[in-house]
Amino acid sequence: MIEVSEKRHRHGHLDWSSHAKDEILELIWTQAEEGKDDLEHLVETANEADARDIIKALEDDGLVTFKDDRALLTKKGLEAAVGIIRRHRLAERLLSEVFDLEDEYVHREACKFEHILGPEVTDSVCTFLGHPPVCPHGKAIPRGECCAKFKRDVRPLVVPLRDLEPGERGRIVFMTPKEHEVLDRLSTMGLIPGSVITLHQKRPSYVIRVGETDLALDEKIARDIFVKKAE
Amino acid sequence: MHGRSRDRPKTGRRYALVGNPNVGKSVIFGALTGRYVVVSNYPGTTVEVSRGRAGFDRDSELIDTPGINNLIPMSEDEVVTRDILLQEKMDAVIQVIDAKNLRRGLLITLQLAEMGLPLVVDLNMVDEAGARGITTDADALAETLGVPVVETIATQRRGIGGLVKAIAGARPSDFTVRYDEDLEEAVGEVAGLLPETNISKRSLALMLLAGDASLAPWVERNLGEEEVAAIREVRHRLEAHYREALSSVITNYRLVAAEAIVMKVQRQMHVEKRPLAEKLGALAMHPIYGIPVLLGVLFALYLFVGVFGAGTLVDFFQGTVFEGHIGPAAVGLFDRLLPFPHIHHPVPTSPYNYEVTASLSTLQEGFRFVHDLFVGQYGMITVALSYSIAIVFPIVTTFFIAFGILEDSGYLPRLGVMTNSAFTRIGLNGRAVLPMVLGLGCGTMATLTARILETRKERVIVTLLLALGVPCSAQLGVILGILGPLPFTATLIWAGVILCVLLLVGYLASKVVTGDGEACFLMELPPMRLPQLTNIAVKTIARIEWYLKEAVPLFILGTLVLFTLDRLHALAALENLARPVVVGLLDLPPETTGAFLIGFLRRDYGAAGLFALASRGLMDPVQSLVSLVTITLFVPCIANFFMIVKERGAKTAIYMVAFIFPFAFLVGGTLNLILRTLEVGL
Repeated sequence: MIEVSEKRHRHGHLDWSSHAKDEILELIWTQAEEGKDDLEHLVETANEADARDIIKALEDDGLVTFKDDRALLTKKGLEAAVGIIRRHRLAERLLSEVFDLEDEYVHREACKFEHILGPEVTDSVCTFLGHPPVCPHGKAIPRGECCAKFKRDVRPLVVPLRDLEPGERGRIVFMTPKEHEVLDRLSTMGLIPGSVITLHQKRPSYVIRVGETDLALDEKIARDIFVKKAE
Repeated sequence: MHGRSRDRPKTGRRYALVGNPNVGKSVIFGALTGRYVVVSNYPGTTVEVSRGRAGFDRDSELIDTPGINNLIPMSEDEVVTRDILLQEKMDAVIQVIDAKNLRRGLLITLQLAEMGLPLVVDLNMVDEAGARGITTDADALAETLGVPVVETIATQRRGIGGLVKAIAGARPSDFTVRYDEDLEEAVGEVAGLLPETNISKRSLALMLLAGDASLAPWVERNLGEEEVAAIREVRHRLEAHYREALSSVITNYRLVAAEAIVMKVQRQMHVEKRPLAEKLGALAMHPIYGIPVLLGVLFALYLFVGVFGAGTLVDFFQGTVFEGHIGPAAVGLFDRLLPFPHIHHPVPTSPYNYEVTASLSTLQEGFRFVHDLFVGQYGMITVALSYSIAIVFPIVTTFFIAFGILEDSGYLPRLGVMTNSAFTRIGLNGRAVLPMVLGLGCGTMATLTARILETRKERVIVTLLLALGVPCSAQLGVILGILGPLPFTATLIWAGVILCVLLLVGYLASKVVTGDGEACFLMELPPMRLPQLTNIAVKTIARIEWYLKEAVPLFILGTLVLFTLDRLHALAALENLARPVVVGLLDLPPETTGAFLIGFLRRDYGAAGLFALASRGLMDPVQSLVSLVTITLFVPCIANFFMIVKERGAKTAIYMVAFIFPFAFLVGGTLNLILRTLEVGL
């Protein structure tokens, strides 16, 4: 998608793609997070060759204002940036935690997500992850409306089996073992999305009950079974 | 530990018992054939096929198969079952289902239905299901599947008559699992390429689409290159449609269908009171209380086998019965029947030594030969029978009883839960506890049981450790018998050394042996049950029978070898030859060479030889300990060696022995050096 925006630019359109604008807004936010708002520094740090022009365009849109040599977000700009950052960092968490992707992929893919997630999907991802406060790198994830709604119940909706306490029950939402043989083995034992399992113990090995089958498994597998807690 | 017979009927019918692990197939096999195959309370007891003649059809063959969770096999024992269905024409398949785990059973039923095999479904253990509030409408299930469905409690012989009647009405199920359009189309395409077999083309096509690698030998024999390429093409095209592996997609459709049937035919009521056995089971796996439970079990085992079996019983049989009565009586008998001038003087070193008091005629030399063959220093009665019946027999008997109780209680898989993390350090996981503990019964059987492990790497490591350092019941008992009179420190040092060696070699092997993917620990825990006295008794008798058939002839053979070597004066030469190792390295008396020599045949026999030497005071405590460590790590017995050849190949077997033989002496020598240097007093 970034390629597309560059192509447009080369063709001389002055209407900068929203992706490029998003990138700069994101950069202004992260720089501000680190206490930097110097315009020159911003232009240097940006990946986009025409960063200066894009910032200008952002000013035209009423998202950025300049004060001395500093680029600041307007109220409208701030709102837009918060959304982008929130989508990016939630995506990072989703990709690294749930899909177990390598760091480099996480970053690259999260950059795509931030442009395409709609508000409902963003809130669903947030809820799904249990309204996480920080991204995998420890930076704050801006709160969304969904977070406020679920403030009282800060526990995530879907957790890996290993986050359950002995005695608790959960309904399997999905399983993500790296080898499909493990998935097949689990399913023939009765572990499939929808089945309710009871966690009996976590040490020295995990012991769970599904239906009337008691199963022992190690943490490697328990990590890859995601459940929704059941009462 | 179970026999096999292949008296295959020429024209008769053939039936197979199929089902999930630990659902009672072997019990039903026993009930239908009157033949005993080992029955235990853990998944994977049956790893080999048993065949027998069904009582209800004198001209038939009934086959007991290893348990399966899916007919797309994931371990070697599951392959065995699938291959039987594929290669042998069945007149009826009797599927045994654990009534409280209907869904898992139905996953297999649906595949059997797909295969088009005449089917009977047996809902077994309805008592256990009932205790958990689960009831199944057998008639509704029969109607849904279109095959006879019966209920049994096999351990109490209930419902067996109904099962027999139902077998006559076995028919292919008309229930069909429907897959999505793409899959159905691919199935049709692949089925068109397949030859006629015992199972339907549809089911075979689904197996091939699922990418079942274990079918490769069948494919090679039955399909041409063109067909193989065409099937591969269809599969690759189909794979692009799904996120998951095709095998998962197919299994999922079946599970959904199974779940729908369960919803229709099964009711579960909530039961507040869970059985007491369940609490005991939880205790046995508890991170803290599990340890005292384990120590308690070990101590009870030690008391029953080590103290009662190897102490009290052996003292009685060896000391009182054999050396007090049978031995002297046999000597007296031979002296009277085949007289030659000699006197026995009961010296403590060997009660069967004698001195010839005059020069002998040729006839008298002949008498002396027969005399020695039976009651001499290496005689059939004085050594072979005395060792096998008086020393080893009481020990294995007590062990088999204790072991049977442990097996049937359901404790062993729970031990796997306790030891999983230790096993992961040596490239294995908690599942390996089953073959390893079975090795304490018999290494040969345990080597066979390694089939239940998923990866080749695990199977090789377990086979090596079994061959190297897991003493079998007979050997263990004899060893405990020698250690008994010594201070407890000796037992601790022996156990510590063996355990360290197993861990070290296991660790190194896990680095050296190449693997085919890492196995995850996933093991089914059977319910804890009160062992049934009759099953323990029958099982113990079956195992003793096996011991007598397999071990006693080898004891006799070993004694004959020693006798011959002694006659040819080769024994002394061998003792001289081995002197640098046995005397030089291990500081043992030269007589132990004989014990090590017969250790090649059976390690327990070697240990029994050491037992005899130790009990005559020929070895000091340190020597006893060093010789015990060496014989424990000594080469696997002949039977085990051939089992390794059969299961893992001749090359692997030879490599293992080539490593173990010098390694045993190396460890023994090192231990001797350490004990002597530190002047450890025992």
